[in-house]
Amino acid sequence: MHVRFEEVDVGHDLHTLSLTLSGEQVKAYAVAARMPGARFMSDAEARAEGLPGQIVPGNMSLALFSRVIAESFPGATLKKLSATFRGLVHPGRPFVVHGVVTEKHRTDHGDLVECDLVLESSEGDRWVTGTATVQFRPRT
Amino acid sequence: MAVDFDRSIIGSEFDHTVFAPVTKEAIVEYARTSGEPAPNDVTAPPTFVVRLRGHRWMPENLPKNLGRAGFDAGKDIEFGAPVRVGDVLTAVSTVHDIYEKTGRTGSMAFVVLRTLVTNQRDEHVAIIDQKMMFR
Repeated sequence: MHVRFEEVDVGHDLHTLSLTLSGEQVKAYAVAARMPGARFMSDAEARAEGLPGQIVPGNMSLALFSRVIAESFPGATLKKLSATFRGLVHPGRPFVVHGVVTEKHRTDHGDLVECDLVLESSEGDRWVTGTATVQFRPRT
Repeated sequence: MAVDFDRSIIGSEFDHTVFAPVTKEAIVEYARTSGEPAPNDVTAPPTFVVRLRGHRWMPENLPKNLGRAGFDAGKDIEFGAPVRVGDVLTAVSTVHDIYEKTGRTGSMAFVVLRTLVTNQRDEHVAIIDQKMMFR
């Protein structure tokens, strides 16, 4: 079911994802996303690169942000997505991805909603922060 | 750390890659492994564009005094036309910016690499700004 621009308010919480990614899930994403870095493949390979263990690619965090937008605003179009990678995300550690609507405006390019996004640990460490601009269907 | 470099590097192109046509299998596999919903089986989820890795992912002529090897500090993507099965995508990458910043842990240099993605109809598909941090 599509969400209408008029139904979205500033301060509206986005759909929340609670996840714990496995090492295999991370490896499968890295292969599908053509990211051959050893650090994404296993703990042993990541340690050989001097990291504490296998890490989740930043691009996978972007995909999770996009998923939150898609599940929060079915039928709307993602126009911009930004992410700042503030800390390493490791498989096997629980985290949540959530967000909030910060602005909405009508423009010549359509009805736009701005959102803040966060991927954080269950202890509240903000590993990835971001923003998104979402375009709603033109008024008829 | 003062990053002293020839500013003519800004705007210089370091990669131009034309990719093989997008397949349904690549879209389905990307959506399955990322969990990011695709609008349908023939249209890719938005972040599919990060999958486009050109022949060269870093310029060879970066200043030598940036610091220790960079890591991915963030990404900004502006989306245009959706990617569909059969699309032939072209990615052109340039050095968009180089700047310094001082934080709590000292000074860092940032290199912003911009990739413009277009399709076979010359439609704008995405502008991807990747921020690499050196310290």
